[in-house]
Amino acid sequence: MRFSFARLLLYLLMTITAVVFLMPVAWMLVMSILPEHEIFQPVPHWVPQEPTLQNFQELFKRAEEAPVMRWFWNSLFVAGTGTLAYLLLSSMAAYAFSRLEFPGRNVLFFLVLSTLIIPGQVTIIPVFLILQKLHWFNTYYALIVPGLAGAFGVFLLRQFFLTIPREMEEAALIDGCGRAGIYWRIILPLSKPALATLAIFSFLGGWNDFMLPLIATNEIEMRTLPVGLTIFLGRYSMQYGLVMATAVLATLPVLVMFLLFQRHIIRGVVLTGLKG
Amino acid sequence: MKRMALPAQRRHEALVGYLFIAPYLVLFVAFVLVPVVWGFFISLHNWHVLGEQKPFVGFANYRALLRDDLFGIALLNTGYFALLTVIPGNVVSLLLALGLNARIRGENVYKAIFYLPVVLSVAVVAIIWRWMYSTEFGLLNHYLKVLWQLLHLPGDFQPIPWLNSPQSAMPSLALMSIWWGAGGSMLIYLAGLRGIPEEYYEAARIDGASTWGRFRHITLPLLKPSLLFCLVMSLIGSSQVFGQSYILTGGGPHYSTLTVVLYMYQTGFSLYRMGYACAVAYVMFVIVLGFTLLQFRLLSARGEE
Repeated sequence: MRFSFARLLLYLLMTITAVVFLMPVAWMLVMSILPEHEIFQPVPHWVPQEPTLQNFQELFKRAEEAPVMRWFWNSLFVAGTGTLAYLLLSSMAAYAFSRLEFPGRNVLFFLVLSTLIIPGQVTIIPVFLILQKLHWFNTYYALIVPGLAGAFGVFLLRQFFLTIPREMEEAALIDGCGRAGIYWRIILPLSKPALATLAIFSFLGGWNDFMLPLIATNEIEMRTLPVGLTIFLGRYSMQYGLVMATAVLATLPVLVMFLLFQRHIIRGVVLTGLKG
Repeated sequence: MKRMALPAQRRHEALVGYLFIAPYLVLFVAFVLVPVVWGFFISLHNWHVLGEQKPFVGFANYRALLRDDLFGIALLNTGYFALLTVIPGNVVSLLLALGLNARIRGENVYKAIFYLPVVLSVAVVAIIWRWMYSTEFGLLNHYLKVLWQLLHLPGDFQPIPWLNSPQSAMPSLALMSIWWGAGGSMLIYLAGLRGIPEEYYEAARIDGASTWGRFRHITLPLLKPSLLFCLVMSLIGSSQVFGQSYILTGGGPHYSTLTVVLYMYQTGFSLYRMGYACAVAYVMFVIVLGFTLLQFRLLSARGEE
């Protein structure tokens, strides 16, 4: 690569931009280990004089009025089981839509597909009323089940299943393998890349979701971490070290996932057009 | 083989097919299809959650919306937010993608840094930026002040009240949202750029085209599908903006960040006027749909010139 003034400028610009982009997240991490008196300073203490884990320890002591760890487990449970159930339901439907012949198949698929253009917030009030009628308000069902109805997984997996050659299944069919066996033993194992991509985005979406947990629960014990964060912010708005420690807790799982599956995520965005 | 199948086999296959879609379909009907239809039905009623009676009122809720000043403000604010985020946000994404496409060292590190904010929850983003925007202790005002002194600008730096003034609150939410989302479109633009054959640029260079000329006549036209996609997606996303103002400003100061979805949320879940809130939701839906169709038409028409 030839060296030139233009390239130097490019690197300079990119690095400055990267520092600016990274700064808010880095500052959250630093603030979470700053003691109270180092937070309210005219000059930011990027390198803490007395780094402390006190903010994180404090979190556990406030379990009565702000059960942060309970929110953490709620989020983990909702995102985890939600992802597994979403993969199972979407892949079953996608298998039927891509491989099995039945009357009304194309109409149904078109119906499912067309709902992709409906913003989720348009239906949030009827969804809330339905959850109440089912007596699911303040339960894990309310936090998990509405998210399983999204059409995106069915759409993505159907596209992927269509690329799998049919010969393998026909051989299996002749060998006496049933449709369920083909789905479970042939289609799913061959679809690992697509399933992994969908799982990552589904988990991130479930972990970060804000609107549904906001309206589907009101008991403090049933909140998820993002909604809990805003309650926390309302209660301890002046203890920003504490607030930042909670935010770090809400960030760590997605940060770990991002670092582990970075390539997968980046490829997934491009393939699916999902932005995460 | 399929054509030869016996009627009994075909019936069996259909049965298996229905069994496979049944679990998903039940949830799809219950949480997507019914809500879409029922939401419109609710919007035609005076539907107070606690009310015994939920009388049918026809389009009265929609007519009331036309005269509702707050709804007008919410619409304008949402449009303002879209104006502040859609084009500027996509310019940022495109610039980042162009930088990454210049075959730089450490490309993956830069890419990861620019994409990182996208995986954060709106609640985390809001909490971080609430502190960034603090008038007294925020990083932004601090570094602006440092910059001011470095450049020897006249007078003293006046701290910007970011979220606390009606003039700057919405632009602040927009700036934060651009930071949050720029990485997503960046990846799509980068993939688009990588798909442009290098020979096109070679040929243009031989013909003596300038950098700008190559960008204007090769990159932009060939990037049209990505541009169309990202612009529509960010327009749809920005018209649904909610969490940012719900968490950071509650719609204030002086209604300056009251958005359509926040207004829907407040009428529905604070005032319990579900019929009216559904009417708000449906107006938003129609606008989003209209924008999507209009933009598709505009961009395809420009491409045919």
